[in-house]
Amino acid sequence: MNAIELSHVTKRFPGFALQDLSLTVPSGTICGLVGENGAGKSTTIRLLMGALRPDSGSCTVLGTDAASPEFLSVKEDIGVVLDEAYFPESLNALQVGSVMARTYRRWDSSQYQSCLTRFALPEKKQFKDFSRGMKMKLAIAVALSHSPRLLVLDEATAGLDPFVRDEVLEIFNEFTREEDHSILISSHILSDLEKLCDYIAFLHKGRLLLCEEKDRLLEEYAVFTGTADQADSLQDGAVAAREPNGYGGVRCLVRRELMPAGWDLEKPTVEDVVLFLVKGAKEQ
Amino acid sequence: MSALILKDYYVIFRQMRIFLLLVLVFSCIPGAFYSTFAVVYASMLPYTALAYDERSHWDQMAAMMPYSDRDLVLSKYVFGWLSTAAAAAASFVLQTVLAAVWPGAEGPSVPVILLSVCVAVCILDITLPMMFRFGVEKARLAMFLIIFLVCAGAGAISVIDQSGGPDFGFQMWAPPAVAVVMTAVSVPLSVRFYGRRRR
Repeated sequence: MNAIELSHVTKRFPGFALQDLSLTVPSGTICGLVGENGAGKSTTIRLLMGALRPDSGSCTVLGTDAASPEFLSVKEDIGVVLDEAYFPESLNALQVGSVMARTYRRWDSSQYQSCLTRFALPEKKQFKDFSRGMKMKLAIAVALSHSPRLLVLDEATAGLDPFVRDEVLEIFNEFTREEDHSILISSHILSDLEKLCDYIAFLHKGRLLLCEEKDRLLEEYAVFTGTADQADSLQDGAVAAREPNGYGGVRCLVRRELMPAGWDLEKPTVEDVVLFLVKGAKEQ
Repeated sequence: MSALILKDYYVIFRQMRIFLLLVLVFSCIPGAFYSTFAVVYASMLPYTALAYDERSHWDQMAAMMPYSDRDLVLSKYVFGWLSTAAAAAASFVLQTVLAAVWPGAEGPSVPVILLSVCVAVCILDITLPMMFRFGVEKARLAMFLIIFLVCAGAGAISVIDQSGGPDFGFQMWAPPAVAVVMTAVSVPLSVRFYGRRRR
């Protein structure tokens, strides 16, 4: 079963459109949603959570159409962390817990308490006095405390210091040890996605440019550094994107299978692939 | 829905303390206008809660949680009804206590308090759909309407009280009937306006 299935989803706003988006996140996997600001990541998340209605296409989450009335009960199984934690400012962590205990049928107070302790969150400090990192940690604590099967995380690690970020990533990793647990995470911190994800989906100006298994993506592409003449001599389609390397030569993202044998190729990072693809898309 | 009402209670708890003080002060002042003003004023508390929701972008968070549009809208009505009922009860108790300890003070008038509750419910029914349609920020004009309705409602009740108080005929059953009919129209309208945000 797929945790998330978006099929030919289109949503138009004045000045922006998410176009013909088809994306599948298999159950038990972690999918990273990558893209520039305004690429459509948050819109995608709002669509799949039923907070927006698509103009066309369908969004199915945990086997239920997000536009159907039944989806309300499916939301019990989904933990969401948005790019900002939008809890009422005057509430403290204990009050947030009391409200959530009446919101989710499977709310686990002891799990919530353990998250507050683990993240060193003050229980009685008002939310408005929290730092950004503390606010995100509270949102993560809430998302993890109602036994979700799917986590939808929109820039959930932004604003966290590297130590806490590492800890949070470990918590997300622990979460997917359960066979039917899945995560969709959007992030600008590509190194986080490289550590965490099984799949990488790349959105650019409202279009999905790729959605592939991370390991396959890293095997498919390579980085070649050489002269412009060498790059020009390669067969059509071998160079996905190129940039000057600052020493008179070029640095290219190349398709490994189309490269001649014996050329010196570097293994790319997810960041290399994504940045090159963005540049490639802009040039086109 | 209890979660949403609890959240609103936490959000405006500080305002509630000031409000209870206002009820106390208004109830101590002789004349129907001030005591009924406190009850009718209670119908404004959901707007305070809505303003706080808007400031913290709570609606974006709520859209991710298992709350239906109907729950989100109805919780504001229920919160308004509970606030009005609490203000009416507080007003009744305070006026009773004052009448007992202060021989010159008038005791509470149950018909006047009931009439105030009906007016408060009607004000909610008129203004909440506008809030859901335009948002608290944009519905500033509605705020003037609310203030006008609160003052006019309290003034009208005070005039009825001065002219011998509401009788137990038409004047007693008509206001609750109007409040029920207006609520039956207002709630679905608010749900519809709130649902438009998904488009």
